[in-house]
Amino acid sequence: MATRSDPPSTPDPAVPSSRGRFEEIYDAQVVPIYRFIYARVGNAPDAEDLTAQVFMRAVEQLDTSRDMGQIVSWLYRVSQNAIADYWRAFYRLPVIGADQMGAGWEPADTAATTPDAEEPSTVGGGERARKQVESLLRRLPANYRRVLELRFIQRLTVAETADEMGITRGNAKVLQYRALRKAALVGEAADG
Amino acid sequence: MADEPREPLDDMDEAERFDHYLDALISGERPSPDDVANGEEAGMARTAAELAAAASVAHAGPQGADPDPAFVEQLRLRMRQADQAIASVQVALPVRSQPAGSNAGAPIDLTRIRVSRRSLLQAGAGAAVGLAAGALGLAALRPAPIERPLGGDVPLVKGEGFWQSVASVAAVPPGSAVRFTTASFAGYVVNDGGQIRALSSVCTHMGCTLYFRPDWKDLRCPCHGASFDLKGQLANGRDTWKQTGGYLGDATAYPVSLPALVRPRVKIDNGEIYVWTAQI
Repeated sequence: MATRSDPPSTPDPAVPSSRGRFEEIYDAQVVPIYRFIYARVGNAPDAEDLTAQVFMRAVEQLDTSRDMGQIVSWLYRVSQNAIADYWRAFYRLPVIGADQMGAGWEPADTAATTPDAEEPSTVGGGERARKQVESLLRRLPANYRRVLELRFIQRLTVAETADEMGITRGNAKVLQYRALRKAALVGEAADG
Repeated sequence: MADEPREPLDDMDEAERFDHYLDALISGERPSPDDVANGEEAGMARTAAELAAAASVAHAGPQGADPDPAFVEQLRLRMRQADQAIASVQVALPVRSQPAGSNAGAPIDLTRIRVSRRSLLQAGAGAAVGLAAGALGLAALRPAPIERPLGGDVPLVKGEGFWQSVASVAAVPPGSAVRFTTASFAGYVVNDGGQIRALSSVCTHMGCTLYFRPDWKDLRCPCHGASFDLKGQLANGRDTWKQTGGYLGDATAYPVSLPALVRPRVKIDNGEIYVWTAQI
């Protein structure tokens, strides 16, 4: 029913908006935040959803009068929470609602809100993740490393991977399964 | 330790299922938690996700982990709309109860507006709201409790009235709405999954006329962006936003709660839909 003569969200010029400040923050932070999230969820559709969640939450709750350093930490803490919630769905754990998460300004003194030890904003998420993965792969037995390289780095299908390694497809699936189980253990040990 | 899989492969079924997760991940699609059975596999999925991210950087350089420029632009627009909707609603609210011109010429402090909005949105209205509201003369900022639902059982027409035919049932398939006008009010008859209902098209915020959006099956307010579902409830309210991460029909969380739409009495007789309206 197109009975309106004006676009619905044209702001009254007298209505104040801190849009300029918002967009400044957005322009500076959207790519690093996306990279930060992408490095932890590994696929674009989910990384886009979580990035959108973070910035839409910022529209509602971010106090733009804070200085840029505080705003950046706020964005990373909210991202960290969004990523934790994302993985909770995989671990079949109850999701903590936005209500219980706090506003993100609190000092990071709990495990759930502590950002990575590295200052994430100053490190290219990709580069860091790549190094982490390389060192992870190096610590795996040769056939485990090989199957993960073929599947992830060379992006071969299971069938191609099986051919490349001279094993059956079933074996390739089992091998990648065991390789990831081992890699998860090794990664956990390295983190802890 | 580096055991070659040999028969019997007792983890064959798990490996088969988990490969669905990996296939989606490696081809850049959204993987499903349903392919992940337990905590151990969740740890594996997480490791795989980090591997996939690193691999795409190895492939394409740092840009491998960059967002799609179209996504960045789209999100920018969503943020702008949300920002404007919140700002306009917040400023519009107190105007109702304020003598015209009482605030005329008063300079408005951007920062203070921002702070007051944030506090307003966090329902535990504390000192900041009091401060900001006082400073701006906006005593009505605190959302008033809803004393009674406007929609539902309260008869819209008191006293004399009659049943006016507004549409045939056949003209309102599930998920659709047909606009009607009577001498005393206007609205939509909607089919909410088989349930025929009449909804007033007057927005319960400031009285603008709602329009039906077939794609989102909602009644939308052109003035401040409220969306009402086919039951007449505010669909993009802040609670919905928090629970679901957003209302699909909208990028914007409507920052205040609104009463439900008025629901005129409706009946179906012989394939025709009637609403009870007033004599004039």
